[in-house]
Amino acid sequence: MIYDVTVIGAGAIGTSVAYHLCQKGFSVALIDHGDIANGSSSHCDAVALISDKAPGLDTQMGYASIQHYGELAKTFSYDFEYDRKGCLYVCETEEEYAAASAYAKRQASDGYDMHMVDAQTLQEMEPFLAKDLLGGIWTPGDIAVCPYKVCFAFVEEGKKQGLQVYPYTHISRIRLSADHAVEAVETDRGDILTKRVINCAGVWAPDVGRLVGLEIPIQPRKGMNLISEPTERIVWHKVMEFGYMMSKFESINFRRNVSPLVEEYNVAFNIEYTKADNILLGGYRGFRGFDVRSELEAMQAIAERGIRFYPCLKEINCIRSYAGVRPYVKDHLPIVSAVDTIPGFYIAAGHEGDGICLSPITGKLMAQLVAGEPTDFDIQKLSFSRFANAQQTA
Amino acid sequence: MILEKDVVVVGAGPAGLAAAIEAAKAGAAVLLVDLNLKAGGQLFKQIHKFFGSRAHYSGTRGYDIGKKLVKEATESQVEIWLQSTAVGVFPGNKVSIERILQNGGKKLYTVHGKTIILATGASENVVRFKGWTRPGVMGAGAAQTMVNVDHVKPGQKIVMLGSGNVGLIVSYQLMQAGCDVVALVEAAPKIGGYAVHAAKIRRAGVPIFTKHTIVEALGDAEGKVSGAVIAEVDEKFQPIPGTEQTIPCDTITLAAGLKPVVELTRLMNCASAFEPVLGGFIPMHNQDMETSVQGIFVAGDATGVEEASVALEEGRIAGVAAAQALGLLSQEDAESQKQFYWNRVNSLRSGPFGEKRLAAKQDVLQCYQEQIHTPQPEVMIGGLASGAD
Repeated sequence: MIYDVTVIGAGAIGTSVAYHLCQKGFSVALIDHGDIANGSSSHCDAVALISDKAPGLDTQMGYASIQHYGELAKTFSYDFEYDRKGCLYVCETEEEYAAASAYAKRQASDGYDMHMVDAQTLQEMEPFLAKDLLGGIWTPGDIAVCPYKVCFAFVEEGKKQGLQVYPYTHISRIRLSADHAVEAVETDRGDILTKRVINCAGVWAPDVGRLVGLEIPIQPRKGMNLISEPTERIVWHKVMEFGYMMSKFESINFRRNVSPLVEEYNVAFNIEYTKADNILLGGYRGFRGFDVRSELEAMQAIAERGIRFYPCLKEINCIRSYAGVRPYVKDHLPIVSAVDTIPGFYIAAGHEGDGICLSPITGKLMAQLVAGEPTDFDIQKLSFSRFANAQQTA
Repeated sequence: MILEKDVVVVGAGPAGLAAAIEAAKAGAAVLLVDLNLKAGGQLFKQIHKFFGSRAHYSGTRGYDIGKKLVKEATESQVEIWLQSTAVGVFPGNKVSIERILQNGGKKLYTVHGKTIILATGASENVVRFKGWTRPGVMGAGAAQTMVNVDHVKPGQKIVMLGSGNVGLIVSYQLMQAGCDVVALVEAAPKIGGYAVHAAKIRRAGVPIFTKHTIVEALGDAEGKVSGAVIAEVDEKFQPIPGTEQTIPCDTITLAAGLKPVVELTRLMNCASAFEPVLGGFIPMHNQDMETSVQGIFVAGDATGVEEASVALEEGRIAGVAAAQALGLLSQEDAESQKQFYWNRVNSLRSGPFGEKRLAAKQDVLQCYQEQIHTPQPEVMIGGLASGAD
C-alpha cells in the first residue's frame, strides 16, 4: 500500500502529529529508530505552561495546547497523568518583582488567567518555600502530564484509527520521484511507500533532513534534572524562579545573586512533585553535543539552587539524576512547516524545552497543514523558509 | 574537595582485591571501596573448599581465601573504605562515594582516579510468579549470606527454585544450618549443576522436581509465604494446567542465575556486548581488561558471570594493566605478568561449562578488536560551549 503520510520520530511531536492525521482520515505510518518516547520525550520534565512563554504567538499556542490536553484527558482511554497543578514563578528581588508584574499584567491584558501573589499568599500556597521571597506570578491553568505516557497515549489512540507503528526501524534513504516529490522511505525493514513525509525527529531532525539535502538548523541542548527519594509532600504546584526566564529568553537580562557554580551551569531553579511522591528538581541547560552523562558539578549546582528556594531539600536524598537533549533553534521558535522545494516533505521539530507543552497543538496544526485547511494560527513565523531568508540576507 | 588517587577500585570482592593488590605492589596509590561491612565479597559466604589447582587455592575454603587477600591488600598499603558506596562515576574520571562514618552519619566524597577499576560483581536474577514479592521469597544468594555470614536462618522449610551450582550448594548449606529443604524445583529435564553437589542433595533425601516450576507463592494471614504451588512444565517451559500441587513452606529461594552489575560502566559510556552465556550485557574489554574508554578497567563477574577464581585472575590482570598505564611497570615486566595470569585464566575456562565461557569471552575480545581496537580517551566535558548561542 501507499501511505498518505509517514511520520518520522515517535516522540511527543511525532506521535501527536500521527494521531491528528489519523483523526483526519489519513493512512499513517509512524517510524522511529528506537522505541516510542525513546529520546527527549523520556528525558525531560513534565509540565506544560503558558507562564514561561513570551506574550503573543508563543503564549497563544501554549494556551491552545494546554486546553487541548484537557480535552484529550477526557476522551482518551489511556491515562497520561493530566494534572492541573498550576505554576508559581517566584521572585527574589524588587527588580524581578517589577519585571514579573509587568509580564503578568501584559498576559492578563491579553486575556490569560495570570496574576501576582504577595509574599504572604506565597507562603500559604507553598509553606516550605524560603521565607524571604517577595511574591510571584500565579498561573492556575498550567498543567503537568507524564511525557512518555503522552506519547503512548497518542499511539494507542491512533492505532484505533489505523495507525501503523514501526519502532526500531532505521531509515537508509528517502526516495524522491523525478519531479523531486516524496515517494518512499527505505528502511532496514523494507520500503515504505508514501505520499508525504513529516520529519518529527527532534534533535535528530537534521539527520533526516540531510537524506533529502536539507540543512535543518537544530542543535542538541542538554537539560538535566535531579530526582529525590519519595517524600512527604513539600511542594504543591510547579514552582520556578523568575530567573528561569533568563535562561530561556536570553534577551531578558536579569542579574541574579548566585554562586559562581550556579552561574557557570546556568542553573534555573524549578521543582515539581510526581505521582510517585518523588520530587523532580531542575535544571541546567548547556551545549554538550549528544553527551547526556550526568555532570557532578551541575548536580551540585542544581541542588544548591534548590536548597536556596526550598531549604528543607537539604534533608532529602537525591536518588538519581538524568539528562536529555532538547532540539534547540537559535530563534527559540519551532519549525512547523512544509518544505517548498520538496513536495510532500514537512518538518515539525525544534521545540527545545516546549515539545511536551506544544505537542497537541503542533499535531493539530500539522494535520491542518497537510489537509490543506486553514491553520488555527498564522504559522508563517514557524516556516522553514525563515532560515533560507536569514541566510540570504546575512 | 576532590581526593586524588592513582587507582580507584570499586568492589572489594576477589576481583577488586586482586586488582588493588597488583596495582599497589607496583607502587600505585590505591583506594578500594566497598559497600559492605567486610572486604572479600562473596568469598565470605563460600564455606566450601575450592576445586582446581593449587594456584587457584584448591582445598581452601572461600572465606580463608578472602582473609588472605584482605591481609595481602592491607600489607600492600591499599587504602580500604568499607560501608562506602560508589554512587556515581562522572566525566573526568570522578567517582562519587557515599561513606558511612564512625558516628553513623554519611559523607559524600569525590575521588579523582587516574585510572578506575570497576569490579562490581553480579546481582541475582529474579523469577516472577504470583506472590513473588511476598516476605519469604528471596534470592538464593541472600539466603546464603544469612546463614553463612550473619548466622541467621532465613526460615525453616525451604523450597529452592533452580538446580545450578548455586541452587545445589545453597540447598546443602541451608540444611547444614538446620533448615529443611522440602523441595528442589527445576524447569529443565535434569539437574543443572555439578554431579558432586547434586549427589549431596540426593543423599540427604531432598525431593527433586525436574520439569517443574513455581506458579504461585501462597501467603498466610500476614502475607508471609505459607506455601509454594508448583506445576509441571511442557517443552516450552509453560506450566501444564491440572498438574499443580502445593508444598507447605515458609521460604522460597530463587537460584535463577546472575547478571553482571554494569551501571557504572554504562554511566561512563563504555561500549557493551550481549553475551547470554556470561549473564547478559557486559562491558567490552581487551586483553588488558580495559574498556572502550581509556583508563577504565573492569574485572570479575561485572565482565561476565564466572567463578571466584576467574575473577581473581582477571583482577590481577586489570591491576597490572592499570599500573602499566600509569607508567609504574615496564612494558616487558607488565606483559610477562599479564601473560602469566592469562594462562591461569584460560586453564580455568575448560570443561563443558568453561569452554562455553571461553568461547563467549573470545567473542568479546574479538569484537573489541574489530569495533574499538584501541581505548578512546574520555571526552572531557568542559565549560559551557559558546558555539550555539
